[in-house]
Amino acid sequence: MLQFVLSGVAIGSIYGLIGMALAISFYVTCIINFAQGQLMMVTVMVTAELASSGYPVWLAALAGVACSCVVGILSYVIAVRPILLSNRFSFGWLVSTLGFAVIVENAAAYIWGPTSQAFPPILNGISLPIGGAVLTAQQLLAIVTAAVLAAGFEIVRRHTLFGKLGMATAADPEMASAIGANTTVVAIVAFAVSAIYAGIAGLLIGPSTFANPYLGDTFGTYGFIAMMIGGGTERPIAAMFGGLLLGVCAEGANALINSQASDWFPFIVLVLILIVSPKGLFSTSNPLFRPRRAAVTRG
Amino acid sequence: MSEQPTLEINALCAGYGRFDVVRDVALSVGKGEAVALLGPNGAGKTTVLRAIMGLVKQRRGLIRIGATDVSALPTHRIARGLAAIAPEGRRLFLDQSVEDNLLLGALHLRHDKARTQTLLASVYDLFPVLKAYRQRLSSFLSGGEQQMVAIGRMLMSDPEIMLLDEPSVALSPVAVDIVVKAMLELRKRGASLLLVEQRTDVATRVCDRLYVMTHGEIVDQMKPETIRSGGMSILNKYLG
Repeated sequence: MLQFVLSGVAIGSIYGLIGMALAISFYVTCIINFAQGQLMMVTVMVTAELASSGYPVWLAALAGVACSCVVGILSYVIAVRPILLSNRFSFGWLVSTLGFAVIVENAAAYIWGPTSQAFPPILNGISLPIGGAVLTAQQLLAIVTAAVLAAGFEIVRRHTLFGKLGMATAADPEMASAIGANTTVVAIVAFAVSAIYAGIAGLLIGPSTFANPYLGDTFGTYGFIAMMIGGGTERPIAAMFGGLLLGVCAEGANALINSQASDWFPFIVLVLILIVSPKGLFSTSNPLFRPRRAAVTRG
Repeated sequence: MSEQPTLEINALCAGYGRFDVVRDVALSVGKGEAVALLGPNGAGKTTVLRAIMGLVKQRRGLIRIGATDVSALPTHRIARGLAAIAPEGRRLFLDQSVEDNLLLGALHLRHDKARTQTLLASVYDLFPVLKAYRQRLSSFLSGGEQQMVAIGRMLMSDPEIMLLDEPSVALSPVAVDIVVKAMLELRKRGASLLLVEQRTDVATRVCDRLYVMTHGEIVDQMKPETIRSGGMSILNKYLG
C-alpha cells in the first residue's frame, strides 16, 4: 500500500510537471500546446546525446533544457502566433500544434533512430527505506523538484510584477495591452517557461524510460490527463495535484488490479472526475474546493 | 507652451469587419482641455477611443498625440505614457488587489520606483477610499469603487491624454458625483481628457467643448454654455 502510494507520488510529480507545463501556456494564451510531450522528449534526447559524447551530465542536462526552451518558443512562433494573428478566436492551433509535435517527433526519430538509447543515470543505485517501502533517490529527487517548481511558480505568479502581468494577460489580454504589456512577449515567455518545466520533467524520467523519440506521446497524454483532472486550465498548480492523483491511481491499479491496469484505469478516473466536476477536481469552479472569494461583480 | 494640441485626429475611419463604424472623424483636444463625445448608443464613440488606443484592427487617418503619430503604433507602445483608457465596463483585473491593479497601470514606469510611488500617492489622494481598500481583491469593491480603480489605473501611466469611456454608467448618483469631482480635480492638475458620455449633465459639468456624434460621424460641436442657455432641445434632435 505505502509502496504504490510513494512510487505513485514520484511518477505523479512528473505527470504533474508536464501537466503544469501545459497549463502554464494555456493559462496565459488559452492554447493547449499538443507538442508539450515532444518538448520533454527534446530535452531527453539532447541530454542523452551530449552525455554519451562525453560532456558532463549537468552540462548535457542544461543544454537539453535550453533546446526544449528554443523549440517551445518556435512552437509558439510557428504553430500558434500566425493562426491567432489571422483570427484570434480560431481553433486552428489544435491542428498546427499537433502537426508541430509530429514534425519534432519524426525529426528526432530521423536524427537518433527510432530505438531507445542510454540515458545518463542521475542518483541511481541509492535507495531509502521509508516504513515498509522503498523510495529510490531518483524518485525522491522527482518529488522534491516538482514541489519546488510548483511552489516557485505560485510565488512568482502572485508576488512578482511579471507574475501579476501574466495573471492580467490571462484574465483580459486586450486590457493588458492597453496598460502597456506586450502580450506577444508575455506569451513567448509563458511558452519558454512551460518548455523548461517539460524539459525538467524529462530529466527526471529519463533514467527510468531511457531516451526514445516517441517518449513524448505517452507523457504528453498523461500530462494532459493530469491537467484536466486537476483543473489546471484555471490554476496551473492544480495540474500538479492532478498529476499526483493520476500517479497514485496508475500505480495503485498496477499493484491492485494487474500489471497492465495503468494503461486504462487512469482514463476511467479521468472520465469519472470530469462527469462530477467538468472543470477539474481542484479548479476554482468546483464547489468542493472553491477558494473563499466573492462573486464577480460587474454591475 | 506650444500650440500643438495634445490629441489631434483627422479623417479617421475605423471599424471591425467589412465596413467602417467610424467615418471621417476629426477632433482635437488641447493641453489641459476636457472634451466630450456625446451621442446615442451605437454612434461609434467607443470605437473612436479604441482607435486612439490602437485596439481597433482597421484604422485609417491621422491620430497624433503631442508630436507623435500613433496611427501605426501597436497598443502597448501607445499605452506607455501617451494615452491611457478607463474603458467601458471598467475591465479591472478582478482576481488581483486594488493596489496591484494600480501598479499594473504604471507598468512602463516599473524601473522608476520614485515616480510610481508619487503617482500612487496622487491616486490615493484623489480617492482616499482606495487607500483603505488597497489590499482588497478588486472584485470585492462596489461599482463606484471599481470605477475609481479604473480611473486610478489610467492615471498611473501618467499619460498625455486620458480617455474615459462612460465613467458614469450604472453608478449610483452619489458615485457619479464622486467621479465627476475626480474629473474636475484632474482638470485642476492640468490633465487633458477625452470623455465619452451618454449623460449630457456629466459632460457639461466637466468639459470645455462637446462633440456630437451619430451614425459614426461627428455632426455638431458646441460649448456647454449653449446647452445650459438653450436647453436640451438643441441636443435632442440628435439624440432622439
